[in-house]
Amino acid sequence: MSSSAPQAPADARWLARADLQSLIDALIGQGYEVIGPTIDQEAIVYDKIVSVDELPRGWTDEQEPGKYRLARRDDEAVFGYVVGPHSWKRFLFPPHATVATADRTPEGWKMGTPDDAAPKYAFLGVRACELAAIRVQDRTFLEGPYVDPIYAARRKQALLIAVNCTQAAATCFCTSMGTGPRCTSEYDLGLTELEDGFVVEIGSEAGQQIAAGLPLKAVAQAQLESAETARQQAIDQITRTLNTDGIRDLLLGNLEHPRWNNVAERCLSCTNCTMVCPTCFCSSVTEVADLQGEHVERQRQWDSCFNFDFSYMNGGILRNSIRSRYRQWLTHKLASWIDQFGTSGCVGCGRCITWCPVGIDLTEEVAAIREKQP
Amino acid sequence: MITTEALKQTLREIGFSADLPDAVLDELAAVSAMVDFPAGSTIFQEGADNHFLYIVRSGKVGLDMYVPTRGRIRILSIGPGDMLAWSALLGEGRMSATATALEDTCAVAASALKLREMCDTNHEVGYELMSRMAKALSQRLVATRLQLLDLFADTATHSRPRS
Amino acid sequence: MTAPSISPPAVNPWQAHTVKIRKLIREGLGVTTYYLALTEGAAMPSFKAGQFGMLYLPSVGESPIGICSDPGDHETWAFTVREAGNTTRGLAALAAGDTFGMRGPFGSCWPLEESRQSDIVIAAGGLGLPPLRPVIYEYLRRRKEFGRLTVLYGARTPDTLIYAHEYASWQQQGIDVQTTVDRASLGWTGNVGVVPLLLDRLATLDPQRTVVMTCGPEVMMNFVVRSALKRGVPVERIWVSMERNMQCAIGLCGHCQFGPEFICKDGPVFRYDRVAPWLSIEAF
Repeated sequence: MSSSAPQAPADARWLARADLQSLIDALIGQGYEVIGPTIDQEAIVYDKIVSVDELPRGWTDEQEPGKYRLARRDDEAVFGYVVGPHSWKRFLFPPHATVATADRTPEGWKMGTPDDAAPKYAFLGVRACELAAIRVQDRTFLEGPYVDPIYAARRKQALLIAVNCTQAAATCFCTSMGTGPRCTSEYDLGLTELEDGFVVEIGSEAGQQIAAGLPLKAVAQAQLESAETARQQAIDQITRTLNTDGIRDLLLGNLEHPRWNNVAERCLSCTNCTMVCPTCFCSSVTEVADLQGEHVERQRQWDSCFNFDFSYMNGGILRNSIRSRYRQWLTHKLASWIDQFGTSGCVGCGRCITWCPVGIDLTEEVAAIREKQP
Repeated sequence: MITTEALKQTLREIGFSADLPDAVLDELAAVSAMVDFPAGSTIFQEGADNHFLYIVRSGKVGLDMYVPTRGRIRILSIGPGDMLAWSALLGEGRMSATATALEDTCAVAASALKLREMCDTNHEVGYELMSRMAKALSQRLVATRLQLLDLFADTATHSRPRS
Repeated sequence: MTAPSISPPAVNPWQAHTVKIRKLIREGLGVTTYYLALTEGAAMPSFKAGQFGMLYLPSVGESPIGICSDPGDHETWAFTVREAGNTTRGLAALAAGDTFGMRGPFGSCWPLEESRQSDIVIAAGGLGLPPLRPVIYEYLRRRKEFGRLTVLYGARTPDTLIYAHEYASWQQQGIDVQTTVDRASLGWTGNVGVVPLLLDRLATLDPQRTVVMTCGPEVMMNFVVRSALKRGVPVERIWVSMERNMQCAIGLCGHCQFGPEFICKDGPVFRYDRVAPWLSIEAF
């Protein structure tokens, strides 16, 4: 995407830096639980916040294959980082959730489903790739023949406050996947951070409702231009690419390519990539009974196709080698997903590259398969 | 007594020999006869000599092998179109299984000795016959392997300890 | 963004019915058929031949099992289950009158509508016959709509042939039932050998007019398909029923994927050519 003369988006305003807390307060006032970036265990993660002081002011992240470090910035930016090990999927598709219950009664087992009210989240700081990832998960959980009730209930009332990236990490490749770095789709409010404040774009009625309660001012042309320059910097900093031409047939047509053996020698099948990936959705269900065995909860939790017995069937494991499990993950993410949901499963966020302990880079794996066609 | 022409026509209809070239069918018919085995009768015994190759036209034949303390075990049943007693042609004539007609069975019986002579002297005929034997045996081998895989076994039989 | 068009589903797909065992038949050697009805006495949901249900034993787990009863019977569903893991072993300990949970029906069905005016060949092995039995019942009820039905069924040994008590009745009603075993036992006078051989030899096969439906171990199905193709059955008339690890049955847990296909919602019944590319890949 190239930069062009900035046009004032339909509804762009200005929020001074000092007034950022009012945004959080307005959200809380409207009954939202605000989830935003904060530092924990030397990483920028997403958690409940109530104050701007909890934001990672003046911090950035440095990412490489197999490496994630925080580093100090020389300014006070609160969104001056890229993406961390968390994604918003942990709130819409929680790592643990009760999906059904069973209670023993004199008349027999009584089956139920939980009807607890879903949390009302406001996500503060959603990157373009993350907006895309949420849309990808929407297709999985909401647009198939069966709708996931937990995802639907949370997603329905979630408010998305997007943040335009003003820098890119070395592991980013959103431009290759057509998902960023500009936030163009489906946010309620969109922020671009400048030195003394934020250009605020209103993207929906719900966003307008929040904006109405904020001390927003008219945005100046100079501010719009600075925002554009800042957003362009993110585009310019992207170095990694993934060639997606014909990728579906490339991968599904090369299921016995020698490269799979090669990557299998490096992959530990540790499941990190699937845990940090914002679109991975595999899960398992376990039974949790009380001591008397009278009340049983069916608990869904995140699983991973890299887990050894993920494909257990009839007394044996189908994908009983790292080679076959890595191949499953990559072909699903970049190829089968297209057949299943009409888009790629990958949004180019680079998390899997960063958080792989041995630094496997899927853009490199695809390039290797593409380059040497048997 | 069936005529050679009628025999040839029968061979044309049976799977094993159906697509043999005309000239080969002539040769084959010349050394063959139709035989009937009533239900329950023994066609040949395991271990005994038999110098006839059979091509089943109708009916059903059970093949058994004897295992001490286990008795006679049926390892295969064959039917129309299948070949029987290939060891007669390919081996020394010592049968590796007992063949019993499970139903009234009608087969073409070809003299293995005469067939062998024919193959030795006429390599064209030899090639046609042997390639059909090879194909039938390879199909038989694949089917046997499928039996060996024991696909319907209890999963416990094939479970492996988790590594 | 708040999306007013998103709604939680009207029926929660995790909601199980409570079912009661009306009767059970010990088919022998760890195999049992359970006849289930809803405890409230309401009619069972309707299902199509080939679909499956998730049998749920609270605190133990769920097991995907093909529904093996007559789709025209609205009172009960039947499931034939072999003891294999925790859930199925737990089920085996139950008796008539006991209750447990069930979700379903799920999945795709055998192409009965597309098979009208055609002959049908069912080629099944082992526990592959139960998901095809509804086809037999449906056929018996709607005879006039179909041509000939042939059932080719194989099991490990004679005493593991499932539904043996029904074969005579099916034969009497004009279905050609042929059975075979991998290993004969003393006194067995039937066929010995694998199911594909029965299809190789099927004299009454009219390939252009026949639909082949096969269910059983994947290797067996592959060879049945080879045999069908060799006999000239068009590839669009061959259907298989696939199996994979299933947990949610609603296409959301990821376990049952087979290439791009979710066995639970795109299958388990597939037209052969749709899954053919993946069948030849090991450990895929």
